[in-house]
Amino acid sequence: MTPDTRSIITDLAGRMAMVFAPDLKSPYMAGSAGLTAAVLMMVAEEGDRTAHRLVEENRAIRAILTSAATADPPADLAARIRTLAAGGDDDLHVSALQAANNELRAALSDLQAHVETRADAAAKTLNAAIWSELVASTGRRAFSNMGF
Amino acid sequence: MAGPLTEDRIAAYIATRLDGASDVSVSGLRRIVGGASRETYRLKLRYVDAAGGVIERPLILRRDPPASLIDTKRDVEFAAYRAFYGSAVPVPEMLWLEEDPGPLDFPFFIAEELVGFESSPTGLLNPPYSDKAETIGQRKWSILGEISKADPLALGLDRLMEVPSPDGCWKRELAYWEAEIDKDELEPQPIIRAAIRWLKRNPPPPAQKISVVHGDFRSGNFLYDKEGEIHGILDWEMAHLGDPLEDLGWGLNRIWCWGGDDRRGGLLPRERAIDIWETASGLKADPAALHWWELFNCVKGQGIWVSSAKAWMDGENRDPILIFSAWRMLNAQDRAALELMGKL
Repeated sequence: MTPDTRSIITDLAGRMAMVFAPDLKSPYMAGSAGLTAAVLMMVAEEGDRTAHRLVEENRAIRAILTSAATADPPADLAARIRTLAAGGDDDLHVSALQAANNELRAALSDLQAHVETRADAAAKTLNAAIWSELVASTGRRAFSNMGF
Repeated sequence: MAGPLTEDRIAAYIATRLDGASDVSVSGLRRIVGGASRETYRLKLRYVDAAGGVIERPLILRRDPPASLIDTKRDVEFAAYRAFYGSAVPVPEMLWLEEDPGPLDFPFFIAEELVGFESSPTGLLNPPYSDKAETIGQRKWSILGEISKADPLALGLDRLMEVPSPDGCWKRELAYWEAEIDKDELEPQPIIRAAIRWLKRNPPPPAQKISVVHGDFRSGNFLYDKEGEIHGILDWEMAHLGDPLEDLGWGLNRIWCWGGDDRRGGLLPRERAIDIWETASGLKADPAALHWWELFNCVKGQGIWVSSAKAWMDGENRDPILIFSAWRMLNAQDRAALELMGKL
């Protein structure tokens, strides 16, 4: 549908910040309206990318989990990892992608706790791959013009 | 059921606390932005004192909200302000603390308003304030040094605040904030969980002294002017006793780098801030110990941000600042932790 969601929300946020907020008499209400506009700008950015970043991230984590057997995780974690690694994102609703992402990131965290203090090459390789993915995950969630 | 907060209700309460006063009235009641854990209102008090003089005074009222980002004790915040009033640490005068929810539906306290100053952290990035960054930064970190240097027992704060052992500070704080994350996280936090595991494996040395810890000492929580002077340190709601490096680490947190560069709190680079703090406090910021406390403060920050998300999702508090915290601050906090762990 056109106009698209991102364009609409971005425009509404701009109106709230530049047109409505300056006319509010209460400093609290003006500040709150300005903050609401800033949040709407974030919603516009996040709304456009959510499905993409979740599919990309879920795919990246499944790839790491697929290689986790080399690090010999305990049986219960290994079974959980096998199940998750074999999964996919057939349902592209954000709620479904997010639920899968939660399971995958929890397993990734547990796997890292298992390998991070080990000195063997397999564990080190896997830990490096997990850190690389965690760094990438913050890039996917970053917002424009927000300082650090 | 709570009724509206009105000038008449506030005046009626204040009249009970002012001996010999008559014709007590309140005007100009306005909610303002201030602090994350309590509702903040500006008002003007007018009354006739016992000698017949007309007194007018701008005041601030801080009232508990139905739900907050952080659970804090208002009597501790009130006591911390009072402890430093009239000292080298500028704070507004605290007037009345009311724990009974009866008068205004929720507990609250009332303080003097310091009028005519700025507090915005992003305001520091632009003229005329950015021209005074060195002066404001010097004052900011010197004042934190004064807080760190102060003797909490001489201030009487041990009566309200637990006094930890020097080697127990880190355990208590880390346990508290890990428990907050356990309680409130709505989705996995693998980065901060990795940070917690590292902090447990690599504990810091014992605190060099037990200090007053402001708990939220950062740009945004002090009042400044165009000349570069700081007139009031605010938001003592997370004050406690502990390792002075905790406060230094919180103020240095990268999430407060609103300019996107190394200027902590938009004022001075990290190393310069540490130098000023060391000079003012007479204490040392051992690099390894400070690193531990900086990473710990990422855990503390994440505890606050995940609680923000939960408070919003539970519907108890729908202030948009909670969404901002849950999205922008949480991700920036993860990036700050990654940077400190050498991964970014």
